[in-house]
Amino acid sequence: MQYELRQQVIEPRRKTFQYLIERNGDKPASRYEEGTIDVQPTENFHYRPLWDPAHELYDESYSALRLTDPYSFLDPRQYYYAPYVTTRAQLHDGFGRTLEYLEGRGLLARLPDGWRTLLAELVLPLRHYESGAQLISVNGARFAYGASVEQCLSYAAFDRIGLAQMLSRVGFALADGGDELLTAAKQQWLEATPLQGLRRIVEELLVEPDWAVGVIGLDLVDRLLYPLLYRHLDEAALTDGAGPYSLIAQHPASWYVDQRKWLDHLLATWVADPEHGARNADVLTGVVEAWLPKAEAAVTAYATAVEAAVGTDAAATVSTLAVRVRADFTALKGDS
Amino acid sequence: MTASSVRTVGLDLQESSEDTRRVVEAIEQDNDDVVVTQIPGLVKIQAPGQLVIRRETVESLLGRPWETHEFQLAIVSYYGHIAEWDDDEIVIKWDH
Amino acid sequence: MAKKLSMKKRYSALTRDLDWTPSYVDPEKVFPYTSFEGIKIHDWAKWEDPFRLTVDSYYKYQAEKDKRLYAVLDGFAQSQGHLSLSDAKYLNSMKLFLQGVTPLEYAAHRHFAFLARHYNGPGPRFAALCQSIDELRHTQTEIHTLSTYNKYYGGMHSWPSQFDRVWYLSVPKSFFDDAMSAGPFEFLIAISFSFEYLLTNLLFVPFMSGASFNGDLPSMTFGFSAQSDESRHMTLGLEAIKFLLEQDEANVPIIQAWIDKWFWRGYRLVALIAQMIDYMLPRKVMSWQESFELYFEEQMLNGLFKDLEFYGIKPPRHVEHAIAEKEILSHQVYWGLYSFSFAAAFTTTVPDAEHQDWLRAQYPGTFDKHYQPLWDKAAKIQADGGRFFFQGLPQLCQVCQIPMLFTEPGDSTTICQREREYQGERYHFCSDGCQWIFDREPEKYVQAWLPVHQIFQGNCGGPSVPEVLAWYGIQDGDGGEYVGSADHVDWERWHAAAPVRS
Repeated sequence: MQYELRQQVIEPRRKTFQYLIERNGDKPASRYEEGTIDVQPTENFHYRPLWDPAHELYDESYSALRLTDPYSFLDPRQYYYAPYVTTRAQLHDGFGRTLEYLEGRGLLARLPDGWRTLLAELVLPLRHYESGAQLISVNGARFAYGASVEQCLSYAAFDRIGLAQMLSRVGFALADGGDELLTAAKQQWLEATPLQGLRRIVEELLVEPDWAVGVIGLDLVDRLLYPLLYRHLDEAALTDGAGPYSLIAQHPASWYVDQRKWLDHLLATWVADPEHGARNADVLTGVVEAWLPKAEAAVTAYATAVEAAVGTDAAATVSTLAVRVRADFTALKGDS
Repeated sequence: MTASSVRTVGLDLQESSEDTRRVVEAIEQDNDDVVVTQIPGLVKIQAPGQLVIRRETVESLLGRPWETHEFQLAIVSYYGHIAEWDDDEIVIKWDH
Repeated sequence: MAKKLSMKKRYSALTRDLDWTPSYVDPEKVFPYTSFEGIKIHDWAKWEDPFRLTVDSYYKYQAEKDKRLYAVLDGFAQSQGHLSLSDAKYLNSMKLFLQGVTPLEYAAHRHFAFLARHYNGPGPRFAALCQSIDELRHTQTEIHTLSTYNKYYGGMHSWPSQFDRVWYLSVPKSFFDDAMSAGPFEFLIAISFSFEYLLTNLLFVPFMSGASFNGDLPSMTFGFSAQSDESRHMTLGLEAIKFLLEQDEANVPIIQAWIDKWFWRGYRLVALIAQMIDYMLPRKVMSWQESFELYFEEQMLNGLFKDLEFYGIKPPRHVEHAIAEKEILSHQVYWGLYSFSFAAAFTTTVPDAEHQDWLRAQYPGTFDKHYQPLWDKAAKIQADGGRFFFQGLPQLCQVCQIPMLFTEPGDSTTICQREREYQGERYHFCSDGCQWIFDREPEKYVQAWLPVHQIFQGNCGGPSVPEVLAWYGIQDGDGGEYVGSADHVDWERWHAAAPVRS
């Protein structure tokens, strides 16, 4: 049965906040917009930071990369807090189920030796890479200008700890609940040759004064590491009888797809900026020239060890990926 | 007995779901001299010295698995220190 | 799977064991800000994590909380629930909340990110990261909660820019700017300890209970929903202070001085709450005096500070002044706001007879003697067709930035004025507490962007009130007198036509 519900109709005085009316006209705004646009203070700060008196508390000059209107960048995923935690709860729930399944059937113990070595000695130590990535991202969360950019970085920072915890949980599972493999993995991170390039680049990015350079430099490494580990090796695992690796890999792989959405859009927004676009493009060129060779060298050294464990032309894959990264950045500038 | 062991420890819980009511019952079962006061939407729990929330007790009342992390959904505030929070129990008491 | 590890060990493996000491760069360059304050840390491993929340648990339970909260917000909006508020003038409290508290949540979100990067200890770094994300939750859930009222009532439409510009909002803004511009350890004591623990109930209980008593379902629901996050934040504050005090005896006097400073700065900030709870709620929860006695004197002074005696920490300097003010604070501040609400984004009004009876009963020692005469005079002016507003701009305290409307301890008929000369300029303070804060760091407080000075310097849109209000983004209907305001007129109209609602 269909019925009409009568209600007292009250005309609203306005359909959203003034700051959105000024941008978009008086019409209903999304929760993402209401919770993000123009939310960060912009003027009349009272005191200079004791820890950095050369800057204001929020300051565009914390980076060489600028936007005329900080809110010309908006997260294409439209994550505000609620959809963010909901979607990540699903990701981690999926991961938890995968792990439960693998542990319940003792499938990790049945991994071929090379793949087990890969996981224990090369993948587990990356939880420290993720930890460093979190610090680099959260630095951007504090110092980026405007709530839309910093919000993406806040979520990215929390994501990285989530990824680190995923890897740690794989470590527990491989060791039947104990932490021995994680302890060993830390030593690998600190000392094993294949991991030192990655550790070095993370540490150098940590002391990079421009938060955006830190974030982009990290992304250059991610653009090599993630497709290597969670796409290329995923496919190889299936043909190599290392199915459990693929089951695990799907989770960080899906995170990486999500990460690309906002980060690629930010890069494009920087380059397309009406006032700063050309200069931003030059800055990006400089960042790529400074950091991509280091990233490629670090991930290639890592990939050499991957190849020693499971073959799959890992090192050559990194070369191909690096070529693609260069091409992507060239195309980015060409499109502006 | 030192003075600190007779100081009141307290917990305020959201009284917004059936599950939380079972948690309150578990607390009443596992602690002596508990005083429970109800105001709209809020349950105030007080006890001398310490309060323990035991996973096993909660599970037996709920009829399903319950992890201590789920207590996050219920807690509004507490008065005392969280002395322990592990897989099996949460303990609130004063340090000094 | 055989679970071999305790939750504590497992949690440690998942969080703090991720940390390592850099060797390719100078570790001091990675964490450059943790020694300049003089705080000594010998062993970061002694930091406790009482809540031991893993990321997957965090996501799961926070998502559940938000699902429940947004269901209430949607239902309220759909049913035009604002019509069931006790009265439109109740919303002045939530206008103040959105303008003055929500921006502080955002500031906390940004600056806990600073701690999450810059503490050279992984335990508190992770706790700070969780808090940073939590504070973003609070910022946005508050905006979303109050978004429904913004559509029908004044004073909420321009809260971000007003936080940056409007005179009374420099009180919360300068408070948090002070914390953010301080070092990472001072920030932790200022915000995690003093604000999120010591004073938190004085801030939140009045607003959330006020919401509950006045039919504001969404704000009340938000309040409950945020509280479980707050219990984690309280814990961080308590852990912070215990950890720092236990690390080195040399930390004790530094922490004591911060407790002294931040109690007083926070106490002056909550003067805005005092007036709200006594004057802005049509249905009363409790008086400021009662709140202060319960949430501060009983729970903190006689509870927490007894605990902290163990470390050699004393109750905050100037606390006796705050105690002495409890019967007069709310009246003085509301009278100030009443006098200046023509320049505010909320309305004020003379308390009606019933309200005055309540005030008289709550404050038998002071209301009749000092404040009834003011309200009688204001009421008479109103009956004669006028409305008392102060013609001019108030002098602000250099530190707390509240108008100089506080009185001498022990003599509530004399305005309290203190001053200090610094580098050839004279600075004014509302109290010994604020002067003491200035004297410790004058080079900091002389930087302040004082709204009244700025108006006089011509930096606020022009020399006339309308020009300043335009620059503030204050629209017709946002401020001034409640009776006859757009909110009042609309409220009467909506309720005259409305059918009886169950």
